[in-house]
Amino acid sequence: MAANYKKVNRGVKLTLWERLYVMEVVRGVTITARHFFRNWVSTFRSYVSGNPAERGIMTIYYPEEKPVVPEAYRGRPMLVRAMDGKEKCVACGLCEVACPAKCISIVGAMRPDGTRYPETYTLDGAVCIFCGLCEEACPEEAIVMTHNYEGLVEYDRRLMLYDKEALLVPEDKLKGRLDYIRRRMYNKCNY
Amino acid sequence: MFDYTYLPSPNLLPSLVEMMLKIIFICTMNMAVFAPVLGWVERKQSALMQDRIGANRAEIFGFTVFGLLHVATDALKLLFKEDFIPRGADRPLHYLAPFIAVVPALVAFAVIPFGGKYMLWGHEANLVIADLNVGMLYIFAVASLSTYGAVIGGWASNNSWSLLGGLRVGAQMLSYEVAMGLTLVGVFMVYGSLQLTTIGMAQENFFHWGIFLQPLGFILFITCALAENKRTPFDIPEAESELIAGYFTEYSGLKFAMFWMSEFLEMVTISAVLVALFFGGWQIPFISHQGLIDAMGHLFGPNFGAIVAMLIHVVVFWVKVISWIVILMLIRWSLPRFRFDQVMRLGWKIVLPLALANIVVTGFILLAVR
Repeated sequence: MAANYKKVNRGVKLTLWERLYVMEVVRGVTITARHFFRNWVSTFRSYVSGNPAERGIMTIYYPEEKPVVPEAYRGRPMLVRAMDGKEKCVACGLCEVACPAKCISIVGAMRPDGTRYPETYTLDGAVCIFCGLCEEACPEEAIVMTHNYEGLVEYDRRLMLYDKEALLVPEDKLKGRLDYIRRRMYNKCNY
Repeated sequence: MFDYTYLPSPNLLPSLVEMMLKIIFICTMNMAVFAPVLGWVERKQSALMQDRIGANRAEIFGFTVFGLLHVATDALKLLFKEDFIPRGADRPLHYLAPFIAVVPALVAFAVIPFGGKYMLWGHEANLVIADLNVGMLYIFAVASLSTYGAVIGGWASNNSWSLLGGLRVGAQMLSYEVAMGLTLVGVFMVYGSLQLTTIGMAQENFFHWGIFLQPLGFILFITCALAENKRTPFDIPEAESELIAGYFTEYSGLKFAMFWMSEFLEMVTISAVLVALFFGGWQIPFISHQGLIDAMGHLFGPNFGAIVAMLIHVVVFWVKVISWIVILMLIRWSLPRFRFDQVMRLGWKIVLPLALANIVVTGFILLAVR
């Protein structure tokens, strides 16, 4: 019997104190107890003050509380509508080329005053991989990744084929993201 | 010779009322407060210990009451669940096992004092359901009965996992039953009694608490008590990663709930025994039993003073018990499970010899002191 098993050396050598076990149990329980009481107090405090940030626990009560996403977060891609009501997009097709998933298709046209605009701009939400390369490629800051991460999924793929009207958002609603893009570009140019 | 002191006194009606009140109190505390609330405590406490929030979604009219309603939904769910009995199971024994598991956990509480003796309108109220002079022996006897519930449940289910779980229960309980009895012999030697009310009165002085007189006995007893409770460091009988759920794999609905409840009630009983033997029972540190009654008597008159003192003592007792439940849960959620051979080695090679040594050392010290 003794010859048939191989002793595995786990590289752990316990001292006598650790082998006594009782004090090590106390040490371990102290750690968990510290977490328990700290979280207890912070949960109670956040319940009283109503501020979820004080809870000290990573969990978020999702539909009631929304996570604060980082500035660079890439959510639903949106087209920017300038303050005069026209699309910023000039239908240059750079985003179409940059898109690795090939989810963007543009048909360009020209306004009577000679400026170009997209006649149709189709973005297939079922194909988009949210890489943000269209945003980086765009010379006009016309397509941006927003912080909107909800309602991206439909039960029918045809419903996820967004056209121009579905994608256009007024510029003032995207101010934060546009600021971020400009700051990032500035940083890139000066590193 | 049979000792009749625990029987009701000749003054029958007050004794009867007292007895009924005590039984109702303990049953309510255990079945209606502890058994359900501990399910909530376990969820929430483990969640907080692991930096989670825990169960919180059950709500009535927008009130979640910190997840307490999950207890009610659990009970409802278990009530309406199909009571499944596997093919080939031993039906009578399959029915009997959960009852055998839950009754001892509840009955063991009969001899644990949750307060002292108080004179109320000429009637002496003794806050223990049955003041047996063999108190602790009764608890040992009843506690070992609960083993049958698990073993029979494992055997009657006609399932390999259940059977293995039942076998492990048998082995573990037998091993630790021996050690548990021996660890407490030191306590009995020190206090010279098996009666829990006598032991409680003897701990009136803070420095005569069992934890100071029998520190080794305390550590050994808590080890054995955890093993008897079949909870995590010693949960090989129901090891979910090895045996699904061990001996109650094939149980569902209310019968499952009874196994579940018996586990929690055992925890309450263990905490109560720990408090009664090692942490002064209902005694408040540095305040003597009679001293509190007299002080309250000065404030509220003799009878109402005694009632106030009684309430204080009862609250102190339950606060101690609840703290111990919390500590037991902390241990349960902190430690990994022992292997089967480790459990056996700990029981027979470490706890048992240490318990015997504890008896010998206690004997010599007592000899030297007297």
